[in-house]
Amino acid sequence: MKNLTSWAIIGLTLIFLIGPFIIIIFAGASAGESLAFPPDGLSLRWYLKVFTIESFRQSFVLSMGLAIFGTLAALLLGIPAAYALNRYELPGAETIRTVVASPIIVPGIIVGLALLRYMVIPLDVTVTVALFMAHTALVLPYAVRVVSSSLNNLRSDMEEAAVLLGCTRLQAFTKVVLPNIRGGVLAAFILGFVTSFNQVPVSLFLSGPGVRTLPIDMLAYMEITYDPSVAALSALLAFMSLAIVFIAERLLGFSRYV
Amino acid sequence: MFSNTREGLALALPAAIFALLLFILPVGILLSEAFQSDAGWTLSGYTDFFSKPLNQTVFLRTLKLGVLVAGTAAVIGYAAAFSISNLSPVARGRVFGLVILPLMISPVARTYAWIVILGRTGIVNDALVGLGLADTPIRLLFTETAVFLGLLQLFMPLMIISLLSAMENIPRDVIPAARVLGANWFQVFFRVILPLTKEGLVVGGTLVFTGALTAYITPAILGGSKVLMLETLLYQQVNVSNDFVSASVIAMILIIMSFTANLLLKRIATARK
Repeated sequence: MKNLTSWAIIGLTLIFLIGPFIIIIFAGASAGESLAFPPDGLSLRWYLKVFTIESFRQSFVLSMGLAIFGTLAALLLGIPAAYALNRYELPGAETIRTVVASPIIVPGIIVGLALLRYMVIPLDVTVTVALFMAHTALVLPYAVRVVSSSLNNLRSDMEEAAVLLGCTRLQAFTKVVLPNIRGGVLAAFILGFVTSFNQVPVSLFLSGPGVRTLPIDMLAYMEITYDPSVAALSALLAFMSLAIVFIAERLLGFSRYV
Repeated sequence: MFSNTREGLALALPAAIFALLLFILPVGILLSEAFQSDAGWTLSGYTDFFSKPLNQTVFLRTLKLGVLVAGTAAVIGYAAAFSISNLSPVARGRVFGLVILPLMISPVARTYAWIVILGRTGIVNDALVGLGLADTPIRLLFTETAVFLGLLQLFMPLMIISLLSAMENIPRDVIPAARVLGANWFQVFFRVILPLTKEGLVVGGTLVFTGALTAYITPAILGGSKVLMLETLLYQQVNVSNDFVSASVIAMILIIMSFTANLLLKRIATARK
């Protein structure tokens, strides 16, 4: 009896959490013209149509680029910072930590607006560059945090030994530290990629003619029509995220880093 | 620990300077905008903002929805987390995976589903009309209820995760012991479970509350201009009214709330160590 109640509660909670996602998959597979559930017959036409919509293709490429290069840039800045914060006695370490983590605390919409007002407009920076900077800043806290936690698990006497045996500090880092935190770096990349790709508020104000991230483009498309293509695209993107996370989990036990 | 300070700073400073220049500086200028006027420093941006009825409504609505979403998530979260923690380890792992799965899906996709559910020809309206409970479809979208449901679905996993990890700290025997000694379930919850998991509740509650407060997509899609929240109001002030002073005031409100919540979380984290 008690077991039954437990499972009923779990079942209802999961229906509430996952049900909408399943509805999206089927609503996108409709054969009809309008968004409905249950769908008016099943077909893959909307799933295929998504690929032919030019603005979706453009914004997908932009979002991909931002997610990949923004995360790489965040790692380039974040790995040395995480290393320094973990292994060196720094004056003002706490301040540096707070500054680097600040993008997590400030709501994204404010960042987007601030960059638009004080960088894009007065300094004549292109929207794409501003987006790249914003996405890098957004991912930076995650990069530092995940890499820090994997550095924490790595004893520092290994690289001290390497230095004693004649490595330079840089060699000790590339030959001893880096191979050992590879999993953490990859996890940080995946977490950063997913965060950046799904990000809306930061990019809200940072859009220009022909320059829109995919989620923003979807929001704009939704305002014009209610056809099932956004549902189909949503389902496709969700599958993409899930596939990435699933592979990461299988390869390196992703969840222990998050 | 290396003591070469210069080397350490050279490694850490690029990230810090990047965040400072691209993040803290522009946001700081934005926040200062509400305090400036032709006559020098002023608070009139704030007094003007709060004197408008619409702004008051939106401010209170945002707080109200934040509290309601966090409260409901806590109630459901306790029931769910308690049930999950009683499962066998294998089943627990699988259910846990399903609980965190939505976190990986784009919030746009997750919110869009509610249009299918709550729209004029959505599932709920079809059922209501089909069962004869309503003559014509009723408006469910662009209501506070719709925004509430969307936010609850979006942030509930965070509450369940926090409560689950807190429940791991409950010793196995205390609940049966309390039961044997004559406590009813009500007493077991308030005298045993709640005190032992209150840190998890505060962590989960803070995450859900700030998440709901600073959400943009959900109120934008499910609330529209009928049910504005602080973030959608900010967007409107900038894009429709070109009112940057109000935008700056809203930004300040959001940052203060988010910052306070983070301080709280940090204190809990350090108290634990």
